[in-house]
Amino acid sequence: MSVLKAILFVFVTAILSGCGEKKSESLAVLAGSELRDMEPMLGDIESNTGIKLLMTYTGTLEGAEKLIAGEPTDLAWFSHGKYVSLAQGDKNRILAQEKTMLSPVVLGVKESAAKAWGWADNPKLTWREIAAKAESGELRYAMADPAASNSGFTALVGVATALSGGGDALAPKDIDQTQLGGFFKGQQLSAGSSAWLADAYVKEQGRLNGIINYESVLMGLNKGGQLQDKLALIYPQEGIITADYPLMLINGGKREAYDKLVAYLSSPPFQQKMMEQTGRRPVIPQVKLSADFASPLLVELAFPNDLSAIDKLLFAYEDQHRRSSHAFFVLDVSGSMRGERMQSLQTTLKNLTGQDQTLSGRFTRFRNRETLTFIPFDNRIYPAKTFTIAEPDSQGASMQAVRQYIDSLQPMGQTAIYQALQTAYRMALEARRAAPDRFYSIVLMSDGESNSGLSEEEFARYIRSLSSQDQGIKTFTILFGEANQEAMQQLAEITEGGLFDGRQSLSQAFKTIRGYQ
Amino acid sequence: MRKLIAPLLTLLLVLGLAAGIYVSVGEQLTQQRTVTVRGLIGSEKEDFFRDPRVVEALAKKDLAVELEKAGSRQIATQFKLKDYDFAFPSGAPAAEKIKREAGVNKAYEVFFTPMAVASWKLIADILEANNIVRQREGVYYIIDLTRLLQFVIAEKRWSDLSKNEGYSVKKNLLVSTTDVRQSNSAGMYLSLASYILNNNNIVDSTEQIGAIIQPLESLFLRQGFVENSSATPFKDYLVMGPGKAPLVMIYEAQYLEEASSANSGLSGDMTLLYPEPTIFSKHILVPFNDKGNKLGAALTDDPELQKLAIEHGFRNRDAAGFRSFVKNHQLAVPDTLVNVVEPPTFEILEQMIMMIEQRYKRN
Repeated sequence: MSVLKAILFVFVTAILSGCGEKKSESLAVLAGSELRDMEPMLGDIESNTGIKLLMTYTGTLEGAEKLIAGEPTDLAWFSHGKYVSLAQGDKNRILAQEKTMLSPVVLGVKESAAKAWGWADNPKLTWREIAAKAESGELRYAMADPAASNSGFTALVGVATALSGGGDALAPKDIDQTQLGGFFKGQQLSAGSSAWLADAYVKEQGRLNGIINYESVLMGLNKGGQLQDKLALIYPQEGIITADYPLMLINGGKREAYDKLVAYLSSPPFQQKMMEQTGRRPVIPQVKLSADFASPLLVELAFPNDLSAIDKLLFAYEDQHRRSSHAFFVLDVSGSMRGERMQSLQTTLKNLTGQDQTLSGRFTRFRNRETLTFIPFDNRIYPAKTFTIAEPDSQGASMQAVRQYIDSLQPMGQTAIYQALQTAYRMALEARRAAPDRFYSIVLMSDGESNSGLSEEEFARYIRSLSSQDQGIKTFTILFGEANQEAMQQLAEITEGGLFDGRQSLSQAFKTIRGYQ
Repeated sequence: MRKLIAPLLTLLLVLGLAAGIYVSVGEQLTQQRTVTVRGLIGSEKEDFFRDPRVVEALAKKDLAVELEKAGSRQIATQFKLKDYDFAFPSGAPAAEKIKREAGVNKAYEVFFTPMAVASWKLIADILEANNIVRQREGVYYIIDLTRLLQFVIAEKRWSDLSKNEGYSVKKNLLVSTTDVRQSNSAGMYLSLASYILNNNNIVDSTEQIGAIIQPLESLFLRQGFVENSSATPFKDYLVMGPGKAPLVMIYEAQYLEEASSANSGLSGDMTLLYPEPTIFSKHILVPFNDKGNKLGAALTDDPELQKLAIEHGFRNRDAAGFRSFVKNHQLAVPDTLVNVVEPPTFEILEQMIMMIEQRYKRN
């Protein structure tokens, strides 16, 4: 019998060691937030390649900055890799890259408006005509912030290239500031991410009639059944820029796994399923475009090869062309903030005055023409202090004044969150009545629970009691210290804003919110 | 009976183990004989090396190949060549640069391919109407490259051309290439354009470069962001249509490989344009050690591997083999190209590329 056992043992060992070889490998992926919709396909990828992708999501410039700074990751996967390729200089962090999907960034306009303006299926329509409609106030569109989101960034580069003549790649001298200014007069909603922008468009479709986003997102909106008026997708004559979702190899030790992944991602079964599930276009000719896609001649505008042109464009957008914003910062300076927390808050805010020279810091600083109102609170509401940035230079008088003020903040007392927030709303509403053509937003940073003043319920009642023309100012809440996550989430929902976690990095949370301001 | 079973099983087990050991030792011996050769290649040769027939033909010679793709010029500038057994770039100038960088004299001219322009019939017809392209025996030739380059340099738009109904696009006329700082196919275009602009003479002095460098720079800088490796622009051509790039500088081999593949991505409205004159891109393997030498010799001398190279669209000494490949796949391809120019010397080409690189940095 012992022999039988021996044979059994040999077999079992053989089976076990066979299994061992099939064990899946895990790769860390630094991914653009646009790629969240790939989650349902990660299982497919793993079962076909034996490779498990561990995704960490990030924004455009933030992701580029992390890669260039040498953040350890095996792969990176963004909606496009051109900015990182240019910004990495001689660092050569990207060892290989392969396009995985395509989606042009286009303008969606309500079908009723498109018909009225003669834009529907009109191959002769130009970006110049679109800019004129935006300038006249007829076209009111949503677009993501170019410094925070790839769809906004791609749109800005595309529009600027087209408006400058569109013959070649954009050079700094070609940027047509007048035309751009007209175009961005029509931007009535900004956001830090493309997905959030799409949700916000659905909520605010009454006052808007257009949205710039990936073709795939706009097709998704049309299919989603939440639109009163479907969107006509506009492909202007000068052209558009297409996101191509390159998968990039960063860790050379994972080349074999990378090759296997690329082979699967560019296979017909994956491409077919990806097209059906995400609405993006395939990268291989063997998978034919489904009938859902518009198939006009898609003219692709050249993407600049010149980082200075891109930087100049981003700053021109932020400091000159976009609607100026008025941001309210409701800051918890209660006793619990004493020490490190207060310091962290002060450093974070002072960094936004142009002191943070990182890639993300440069483009999230306070902008020229921006108005800032700080409302510190504990159990009392302290007098609000308002600044308007008259020059974006970090050594200029405006930024220096902001820094001096931030340094003067002193922690004490208890926490009256809702009371402070109501004060901010009252001030914001008054400001908006006086100057309606700006973006208004409120940021609430607190490290604890409200234990003084107005209750959550009383505040919610106040928000609901606002007349329809007084609605729409969003609050972005930042979790910090022992803040009550549920209450902060609730607040963000009541005001249609968003919750951001500042417990890991307060500075990162503030920078992310800048995209929404 | 039971008493018999135990010894019988033992015997079987011993036999089985012995057989197992025999097989696995045999495998190990084969594996020991097989040499794994690690190298850097231009991306356009990836499909050739991944072809199971090529893998098998190499295995017969006890060779297995491990690859990394890179722009041909990038190989010399951005990699530690000592970590590899060979480099197989495209283009004699890139090979020369690598030879110098690695201090190697030997090299294998494995195959070659002429430069051509991937385009669309719609585009070819517009260019024909504008006296730039002409069809002969079913093949499109760019008969007036000088005129085409003049249009490009004068920043003419497609919408400026006559009879442009199908493509009245605002884009400027440009021939799309890879990054001339990284990749050979763009360097081949630079060689060709420098010949034309230098009044149909090979550039051979710094003075001559000075006279034409400005228009040469504009051919590349005005394209904006471009790719490092030749495979990507061709993939874009197959998928993104004439709106992305109406004229794409490629290797003829890329087009022929796609045209002859079972599941070809080419469609009836696509076509290849042959510049007159054109230029040959030689694909030269530079060995860094004996393993590299062994691979170089196998690729050059083995008739089967040479045949397989033709199957992937390359040309080599086997002219008859290429003719029958073209015939079998009914490809509209000129058998022999007579109007071919040589690239400038390595030093001259390098000098032009460095000057263009400086322009990129000045931006």
